[in-house]
Amino acid sequence: MATPADPLSRRRSLGLLLGGAPALLLGGCALNGVGEAVGTVTQPLNERIEALLQGKGKLPEFRPSQVDPAALLINSFNGTPEIDPGGYRLAVAGLVSRPQRLDLTALAALPQHQCVIRHVCVEGWSAVVAWSGPRLADVLALAGLSPLAGYVFIESADQYYESWDLASALHPQTLLATHMNGAPLPAANGAPVRLATPIKLGYKLSKWVTGLKLMATLGDRRGYWEDQGYEWFAGL
Amino acid sequence: MPASTKRPMAPIRYAPLWTRAFHSFNLLVILLMAASGLQIYNANPVFGGRGGATVPELFTLGGWLAGGRDWHFGVMGLYAANLGVWIGLLIRQRHQRLAAMGDLGTLRASSNTPKRRLAVHRLVYTLMLIVLGFSLITGLAMYKPAQFWWLVAPFSFAEAAGHDSWQVLRVCHLATIPAIALLLGAHVVLSWRVGGLRLWRSMAV
Ligand code: HEM
Repeated sequence: MATPADPLSRRRSLGLLLGGAPALLLGGCALNGVGEAVGTVTQPLNERIEALLQGKGKLPEFRPSQVDPAALLINSFNGTPEIDPGGYRLAVAGLVSRPQRLDLTALAALPQHQCVIRHVCVEGWSAVVAWSGPRLADVLALAGLSPLAGYVFIESADQYYESWDLASALHPQTLLATHMNGAPLPAANGAPVRLATPIKLGYKLSKWVTGLKLMATLGDRRGYWEDQGYEWFAGL
Repeated sequence: MPASTKRPMAPIRYAPLWTRAFHSFNLLVILLMAASGLQIYNANPVFGGRGGATVPELFTLGGWLAGGRDWHFGVMGLYAANLGVWIGLLIRQRHQRLAAMGDLGTLRASSNTPKRRLAVHRLVYTLMLIVLGFSLITGLAMYKPAQFWWLVAPFSFAEAAGHDSWQVLRVCHLATIPAIALLLGAHVVLSWRVGGLRLWRSMAV
């Protein structure tokens, strides 16, 4: 357009533009703190939608040829704990009628299942892994769930802790894995027992699991990463 | 802006308030999504993984991974709703807007330049919507890869060449940032050529 704009307005506008840029940068840093508030407002809604999206049935799996062992990175907040397989016991307690202390033989005696699924880390990487072991649902059934139970609190030998909604815990592809890619679970990946499922982000999949506690409500300790600001449901 | 072309010094005719608000809101939402996305990128760079180069903190939002995800998944609903409204409006107003702008082109010049400019600008708008829609699709596929496995499936086309569908998705999702930046640049330049500062100010809130 050939219109000469009002010079004063133009100068003023340019000044505003130049002044606006640093303000935006400063604002960006200040906004970092607001993110938590944004999360507090939107996460409950997102989590509800995630739970609604999640079906009870099996999801499609990958072909064993798609397994990529090199893609699976190791994460741990506190190193690798030493666990003696002979002395290992999995405690199932809380709102159950028959509390259990299961050794590895008892877990191996349950029906064994394999899931070839994508393990997705919150950091952004993923890996196709073949997990096998008993279903978490079968282990919980041994203990006899109370109708009041709504959540499972999961304790690990390295002091990592997690909590799950019962529906996700009872999903047919949620395993207490004792094997990975056809071999016994390596110590760095959670030996002797870890959680595996296609429906949760990696930080929900506790390694070195030693205790399952059924609860009616979520406590103050919702999970090691969740308590620092990560989403609790973390569905995939 | 037909009226302001005839009378050069006429006061600026501002676009309706809701149009200006919607325009600014669009820009804000895209900036928030891009900056928080780049924060997520930094937790594990798409290129190079754990050893990869990270984006300067200046372009990120959230401070750390959980903060970036708070923003990204907090604003995604607004982003999707905005995109829906935007596409709906364009489809509804397309004919009317083209007619008015076409008149302007005929009035202004004997050559066909404005008409061509308009055509380019329309192309830019359309591409923008496609890119933003693509961003939404690839984002959803990575947000719920297990539940929306059918959304992930089309991205396994490069598996035979050794490229996992997840990495293809990450690259595609990230690529929408340079794409939208280019289109935004073109949009800014074109609107400057069409209406200069006066047109810019008419859209400012
Ligand atoms: C509804 C819309 C969107 C959804 C659901 C979505 C979802 C996601 C998800 C799940 C991730 C994490 C990916 C990973 O773990 O690697 C991500 C990353 C990212 N997003 Fe989005 N996103 C959306 C829109 C956008 C838009 C509009 C932009 C930019 C204009 C954007 C830019 C990014 C970037 C740069 C990353 C980091 C790339 C990576 O690390 O893989 N996203 N997004």
